[in-house]
Amino acid sequence: MSKIFRLPHERRTTLKEYFLHPFRHDGHEEQRALQDVTFRVEPGEFFGIIGPNGSGKSTLLKIIAGIYRQDTGTVKVNGLLSPFIELGVGFNPELTARDNIRINGTLLGLTRRELGARFDDIVAFSELERFIDQKLKNFSSGMYLRLAYAIAVQVDFDILLLDEVLAVGDAAFQEKCFASFDRFRALGRTIVLVTHDLGVVQRFADRAVLLIGGEMRALGAPDDVTEKYEAFASPLAV
Amino acid sequence: MVEAPGTLHAPRPGGIAHRLRILQVIVLAEFKLKYAGSALGYVWSVVKPLTLFTVLYLVFTRIFKLGSVSEFYAVSLLVGIVFFSFFSDATNQGMVSLVHRESLLRRMRFPRMLIPTAATLTAAMTFGVNLVVVVAFIAWERIEPQLDWVLLIPLLVELYVFILGTALVLATLFISFRDMGQVWELAAQLMFYASPIIYPAALLPQWAQEIVFLNPFVQILQDVRALVLYDDLPANNVTAPDVLGEFGRLIPVGIALAVFGLGVALFKRYEPWFAERA
Repeated sequence: MSKIFRLPHERRTTLKEYFLHPFRHDGHEEQRALQDVTFRVEPGEFFGIIGPNGSGKSTLLKIIAGIYRQDTGTVKVNGLLSPFIELGVGFNPELTARDNIRINGTLLGLTRRELGARFDDIVAFSELERFIDQKLKNFSSGMYLRLAYAIAVQVDFDILLLDEVLAVGDAAFQEKCFASFDRFRALGRTIVLVTHDLGVVQRFADRAVLLIGGEMRALGAPDDVTEKYEAFASPLAV
Repeated sequence: MVEAPGTLHAPRPGGIAHRLRILQVIVLAEFKLKYAGSALGYVWSVVKPLTLFTVLYLVFTRIFKLGSVSEFYAVSLLVGIVFFSFFSDATNQGMVSLVHRESLLRRMRFPRMLIPTAATLTAAMTFGVNLVVVVAFIAWERIEPQLDWVLLIPLLVELYVFILGTALVLATLFISFRDMGQVWELAAQLMFYASPIIYPAALLPQWAQEIVFLNPFVQILQDVRALVLYDDLPANNVTAPDVLGEFGRLIPVGIALAVFGLGVALFKRYEPWFAERA
């Protein structure tokens, strides 16, 4: 599977530019975000995706989630996905936490009754009881993260896609996430995790893939894959 | 897989029911958001068209003496303004809705068409509030309700279909051409004056009537006026069949359906790239 972004040098998005320079070709360059990436995640597996910034990890996750469309190849997803991408689930900062839970829970497929039954669990997991009727624009990024994660894991998903869930959480919340990882594993749920924390990959992942410059450099046991990444990264380290 | 490149997703829970729930929560949230924090709240949605109405009413009855061409010039003008505000607000909000919800588009997968649909439905709620004022005016004028007013229902459906189709076309274009915002504002303004909103349709020369009645909005507006203000003078009660022939109504209705079809097709065609381009 491959993904190419057409990145214009100078974005021509106004009609004026079309009228003024109708024959000038859009000066775009094609950036290969992902090139010939092929792997299979087994049901119930904890799968880690690692790699340096800009290596295509998040793009890959968005393609799996059906948010971006790949240019070549096929993606097959068997089961209900719950995506957690770019530190969130797409909140509206002008609305209260309560309204955002309602909207995002519904988008993720919860019915009104399920939402009613799980609302307290979501709030409890996020530990944001005191702030539930405040607008999200007043939330810190850590609070955002807590709420988004609490919603994403309240869906009866088969597959959970997690992008950098641990980046801005405090130690207590990280431990809470780790506990939930163990719980989902026991339930046979599949988790695909993008992270820079190699320790987490070694601790939880059954397998991992290393992406560098949009290409797969390693696939297999977490220890081997993280070792390859460290070997790649170390000459660059100061 | 049949579609290549393609993505096979397991069905989301619910299907249609799921979509309706999404529409419901988004529309309610948008409506709340629109008037949240303003002291007068929903009242504003009535104040805007009423102010325009008052100004136009005074100018065109006191200065231009248009009041004499219709028994019910005030109601007729108000109906025109309220219907046009709906068209203009709904298409504008539908156009920008995808770009405004860009953060949601980039984080979740759901039928994208729900976003512009929710935006137009939010505008429809404001329209509903405005209709209450129109009904008050009708009662004030002591116009007796008629059985054939049920025909207003298919007309409102046609209007919504036309609006949603237009919004889908605009939303798709707006993703790639941001100055569609300016273009559409101008186009809507031109449409306001090119439609018999302030002046009666009969004042237009025949050739101009034949053109403006191709616009589904004009056909709907005139049909609504003819139904509600059935006692009005002929100059104001010109409808599509009077201008385009016996089956003339089929032309604007067909255009409304065609715009809707075009909107859906165009939207579906470019939907996979909305998230990365919005």
